[in-house]
Amino acid sequence: MQGVLGAFHELDSAVEAIEELKQNKVGDITVYTPTPRHEFEHVMKHPPSRVRVFTLIFGLCGVTFGYWIPVWISDYWPIVVGGKAIATWVPFTILGFEVMVLIGGLMTVFAMFGLAHIPRLTTTVGYDPRFSSGHFGVWVEADPDRVDEAMTILRKHGAEEVRRER
Amino acid sequence: MATTAAPVLPDGHRPNVPSAARRFPGIGSYEQVDREIAGTLSPTLGWFAALGIAILCMLVGATTWTYQIHEGLGAAGYQPPVMWGVYIVTFVFWVGIGHAGTLISAILYLFRAGFRTSIYRVSEAMTVFAVMTAGLFPILHLGRPWKFFYLIPYPNWRLIWPNPKSPLVWDVFAILTYLTISSTFLYVGLIPDIAILRDREKNPIRKAIFAQLALGWRNSDREWRHFTRAYLFLAAFATPLVLSVHSVVSFDFAMALSPGWHATIFPPYFVAGAIFSGIGMVFTIVIPLRKAFKLEHYITLNDLDAAAKLCLFTSMVVGLAYVTEFQVAWMSGNNFEQDYFWNRVFGQWAWAAWIMLICNCVVPLSLFSQKLRRNTKWLFFLSLTTNLGMWFERFVIVEPSLSHEFEPWQWGTYRPTWVDYGILLGSFGWFFMWFLLFIKQLPVMAMSEVKETLQPRLRVAHAHAGDVDHDLTEGTVYPDDTGAPH
Repeated sequence: MQGVLGAFHELDSAVEAIEELKQNKVGDITVYTPTPRHEFEHVMKHPPSRVRVFTLIFGLCGVTFGYWIPVWISDYWPIVVGGKAIATWVPFTILGFEVMVLIGGLMTVFAMFGLAHIPRLTTTVGYDPRFSSGHFGVWVEADPDRVDEAMTILRKHGAEEVRRER
Repeated sequence: MATTAAPVLPDGHRPNVPSAARRFPGIGSYEQVDREIAGTLSPTLGWFAALGIAILCMLVGATTWTYQIHEGLGAAGYQPPVMWGVYIVTFVFWVGIGHAGTLISAILYLFRAGFRTSIYRVSEAMTVFAVMTAGLFPILHLGRPWKFFYLIPYPNWRLIWPNPKSPLVWDVFAILTYLTISSTFLYVGLIPDIAILRDREKNPIRKAIFAQLALGWRNSDREWRHFTRAYLFLAAFATPLVLSVHSVVSFDFAMALSPGWHATIFPPYFVAGAIFSGIGMVFTIVIPLRKAFKLEHYITLNDLDAAAKLCLFTSMVVGLAYVTEFQVAWMSGNNFEQDYFWNRVFGQWAWAAWIMLICNCVVPLSLFSQKLRRNTKWLFFLSLTTNLGMWFERFVIVEPSLSHEFEPWQWGTYRPTWVDYGILLGSFGWFFMWFLLFIKQLPVMAMSEVKETLQPRLRVAHAHAGDVDHDLTEGTVYPDDTGAPH
């Protein structure tokens, strides 16, 4: 993986640089921003996150499992009270709900980890500690013959620092 | 938010008058946020002193518990018919405290309440430690605490068949789920901030620890895209969870037939009380914290004002619940209920009931005054009375019912012993010990979220940038690392 990293102090400069890089199809772009900014979302035009799919699926799995636990317990170790059903849905809804939240919530986080590619063992290539503080970063994964073009675009738009990385 | 209220004049270089357009006028740049909030992590003499007191209190509790294990549960104030005492009262108290954290972080997040940003990290940490504290009490309440795992409802070979129709089993599920989801919510929100600490840290050992905890977070657009979505869904899951947990705790009482307990009003009554007590504890923690760490320009008076309004609202809901309880008893025609409530307010337990009523219903009415809502000393005092009142609310719920059931020969009384008080003190020591350790290891405020509310540095100023807070901020110096326009 090789490319060019540009560090910007101003948000609008970074956004304009990304627009031109995308227009010229220089390479895959990764933006680093200390805080989520909708300007980057608009310019990057990513599809919506698929985290919600995992939330829905595992939430449904959780509620099913949450109902199954007390039904199975009641069936296997029945506490027989005259006139009362062994498996009663109303009180079991509480367990169904709690397990839905537990499994759905945890799997949402794990899905986020998976989709965002974390945990990550190294942050070095294409990253600079300034990007967690006050700077915006643009990493362009460019072919060797287009690296100079990427560097020119980044500098043109006011990047404070532009460097090659591999 | 009190954004339309008459503005208070800026206070020196740290104006405290956010508007709808600019929430933190005293913060000029992203770097300032990092510097000031990360700066709170350096230990001070005051912090060591506070930690020492907390550990001392915890040791008093631990020693008392050891004594109780040796002597048996009789050392505590239990005497028939009252076999639920301070431990169950304090269990419900701490679960209630644990409510405000996830309420502030999840529900206010969904409602986009601006004042949440500055106080939610503290509230979330408070939630986790409060639930950890609450979790100790069912174990302390056991004569043989080493057999605590008997409480966990799984089918076993001990001939103890779990009954999933019992509120005590629901409680185990609800509390464990709440603890897990609240801890997850706290940790997920911390990841970007831990990455900031990782990038700033010079000490190699601390840097390595932060690097592990940050999971290699790089602030990339991919990470933020999935993070913000996951955070939203987690908040959406946590919101009904907040409401469900204390409802389930209330079922511990409401599913019993004792007078004063068997009422359908209990779930909303408990939830409102929990939010009220939680906000009280947030004030108890946040007000000294903002002063000690000089964070007045982050936790602004407007934030405290908005939280005080929430406190006032929940206090009135709680007050309405008290009145409704009496009304239901009066209109029910049920002699046991009527006698119980009379005994609660004018009889045996009047002293406790009036502490509860004054602290929870009368004192908070002062918050109708904007001047008092913006007076931190008053808010701190009010937070203490709220904590006291809400502990007594649980006392008044538990003890009068058990001591005054259906038949006069069943009636009795309850007097906590020094063992109860020692363990109660120990629980505060345990809670504050964890909290104090937290605030010196991890940021007390969500740095990346505070940055989100700031205007980013721009090369070309925004067309309406000059309109924002012009009158309020004129002549005010905003500290900025670079001096660049923003």
